Amino acid sequence: MTEPGILDIISFGPDGWGHALAVGAWMTILIALAGFAIGAVIGTFGAWAKISGGPVTRMVAETYTTVLRGLPDLLVIYLFYFGGSAAVTAIGQAFGAEGFVSFPGFLAGALAVGVTSGAQQTEVFRGAFRAVTPGELEAATACGMGRLLKFRRITAPLTLRHALPGLGNVWQVVLKESALVSVTGVVELLRQSQIGAGSTGRPFDFFFIAALVYLAISTVSGLLLQLSERRLSRGVRRG
Amino acid sequence: MNISANLNAPATANVAIRVCDLHKSFGPVEVLKGVSLEAREGEVISILGSSGSGKSTLLRCINMLEVPNSGTIEVAGEAIGLKTQSDGRSRPANQKQVDRIRSELGMVFQSFNLWSHKTVLENVIEAPVHVLKRSRREAIEEAEALLAKVGIADKRNHYPAHLSGGQQQRAAIARALAMRPKAMLFDEPTSALDPELVGEVLRVMRGLAEEGRTMLVVTHEMGFARDVSSRVVFLHKGAIEEEGAPEEVFTRSKSERFRQFINS
Amino acid sequence: MDIKFALETFLSLVSALPLTIELAVTSVALGSVLAMLLALSRLSGILVLDLFARAYVFLFRGTPLLVQIFLIYYGLSQFPAVRHSIFWPVLREPYWCAVLALMLNTAAYASEIIRGGLLSVPHGQVEAARACGMGRLMIFRRIVAPQALRQALPGYGNEVISMIKATSLASIITLMEVTGVAARIISETYRVIEVFVVAGAIYLAINFILTRLVAFAEHRLNPQSRPPLAISGALKGEMQ
Repeated sequence: MTEPGILDIISFGPDGWGHALAVGAWMTILIALAGFAIGAVIGTFGAWAKISGGPVTRMVAETYTTVLRGLPDLLVIYLFYFGGSAAVTAIGQAFGAEGFVSFPGFLAGALAVGVTSGAQQTEVFRGAFRAVTPGELEAATACGMGRLLKFRRITAPLTLRHALPGLGNVWQVVLKESALVSVTGVVELLRQSQIGAGSTGRPFDFFFIAALVYLAISTVSGLLLQLSERRLSRGVRRG
Repeated sequence: MNISANLNAPATANVAIRVCDLHKSFGPVEVLKGVSLEAREGEVISILGSSGSGKSTLLRCINMLEVPNSGTIEVAGEAIGLKTQSDGRSRPANQKQVDRIRSELGMVFQSFNLWSHKTVLENVIEAPVHVLKRSRREAIEEAEALLAKVGIADKRNHYPAHLSGGQQQRAAIARALAMRPKAMLFDEPTSALDPELVGEVLRVMRGLAEEGRTMLVVTHEMGFARDVSSRVVFLHKGAIEEEGAPEEVFTRSKSERFRQFINS
Repeated sequence: MDIKFALETFLSLVSALPLTIELAVTSVALGSVLAMLLALSRLSGILVLDLFARAYVFLFRGTPLLVQIFLIYYGLSQFPAVRHSIFWPVLREPYWCAVLALMLNTAAYASEIIRGGLLSVPHGQVEAARACGMGRLMIFRRIVAPQALRQALPGYGNEVISMIKATSLASIITLMEVTGVAARIISETYRVIEVFVVAGAIYLAINFILTRLVAFAEHRLNPQSRPPLAISGALKGEMQ
């Protein structure tokens, strides 16, 4: 029997790994999306804390961003995965369950990615807010808009427009960070490639294909981002 | 032509805005040193002064964009409640009251401050729909009429960045008018405009004065102050130096400083 | 917080610190040479070099570092040609595979930082130097490079910090640097929080020291931002 070529590997037939890899790629996107969303929530609160928080709130936010800038992502993933497992096992034992209960890898991964990207997104939103013309915010106050209304209709949309490039960078980072989540056992693209490599004895082929898929996701994301940047900047005269 | 004679509000007209003994400091610097001012309905008051005189601060205190350290502010007979915090700073006592009073005043800024992510029409209907809770259809109808009145109806679907300075300021005036304000505050409305665009904005403001609107205008435009206002107020270093009808003040002023100011 | 356990953990982790630092320093050093070559290729004006450098940066910045590590450590062993080559004793070792992967990765990011620094020097200054008769090499050495370095330093400092964090991935291919040892202790004792705090503190300490070093270097490289020195006495030759 002839050795399957590289194209046979990615075929979607019964012998091909195409389907499994596609599912893995989809899982990668899901982890990245979940982590990015969690990070966006944290980032919004963090930026708000740094911009208009009291001294204590501001210090907490500063500590958070400084600490997470210096910690390896892998360490944070281990914290949530092993830590979550330890917590869940302890809770299980309190209820009489025996043995080890593992924390779901997807959740641990998403939380870890969320916490690390949250620090980056805090800085992105903070910088974006500073780029907004203060006069436009003042005009909203002068009309009698309450705080929540002003935030929803004026502050947030204007800040978001300036935040898009920075958020695009964070997304690319999050996409790559999702590969680390494979250590928790979640079958995203990299782990699926590892499984395939181990099964067929062709690690280079599988990891090379994985690399191409990551590149493809990254490039398409970048294009979508450029499109939305253009749409949101409709009213802005460039230069 | 001096039209202020037509606008001289009778003494029995209601007081639209009353400011009593206003003090305001920024840190160690006292910018307003006990300013009192009354604007009756239909009056057009020009506030003049050199930079640092406190004229913008005075205007911004009226709608609480700056919070005075002491003194009282009344809009349409309603006093804005103030309270002093533990650190000595003043704050509005009731934020909802401040928001409501702001919605009854229309402010026009030196740098227009149109919302750049909305079209001109969207700018004009934004506050009426979301603050005053009017229906969108009603707001759009009124907005289109206002934009026609200030002369930029054809720009209604453009974004502010595509308009000239004069057009932007006229749009900002329409935005303020859309709130059906009890009084209008103008903070150096033409100072940021190229000279050839100043005229179109002053024309609109003149039209509003002729309609009988209550207007407080901080300005450097002497022509407007002399020809359109019913009263001129001259501020110097946080206090009112000279006040009166334009023909009085411009020809028979009591203050040497004011004479120097208008001749500079 | 069990002090005895924390101390033991600290000692274990610190003993792994040299490996972390070695990995980081080696890959940054080697990577910076490659980065310089890539930056110069982009700016050379020669289309082939420019395109190659662009493709390189695109590939290495667009794929996860872990995939690059796996490609080198696991992937290369797929080819008999590699296994029988003279490089095999080196490429078999996790340490050198990690260094290679880290070096290739950082070169991509660093080349963009260097390129930005080189482009930031105002062209007018280069023209002025040329007008004085300076040769291209001298212009580069005395005018462009010092200013480019100054401009690139903050970004490069960040890249070095990223590299320190990136060394943690070497633990996945069996290297026992700080994160690897931490993971081992956690899986043995399940005392996650304590180990995490100690390991995190070590990384933060390195980060802090690095940030201080970069700030110091920035200060030294920017004489114009220091307060002017007082001049005592008349300058020699000054006309009275």
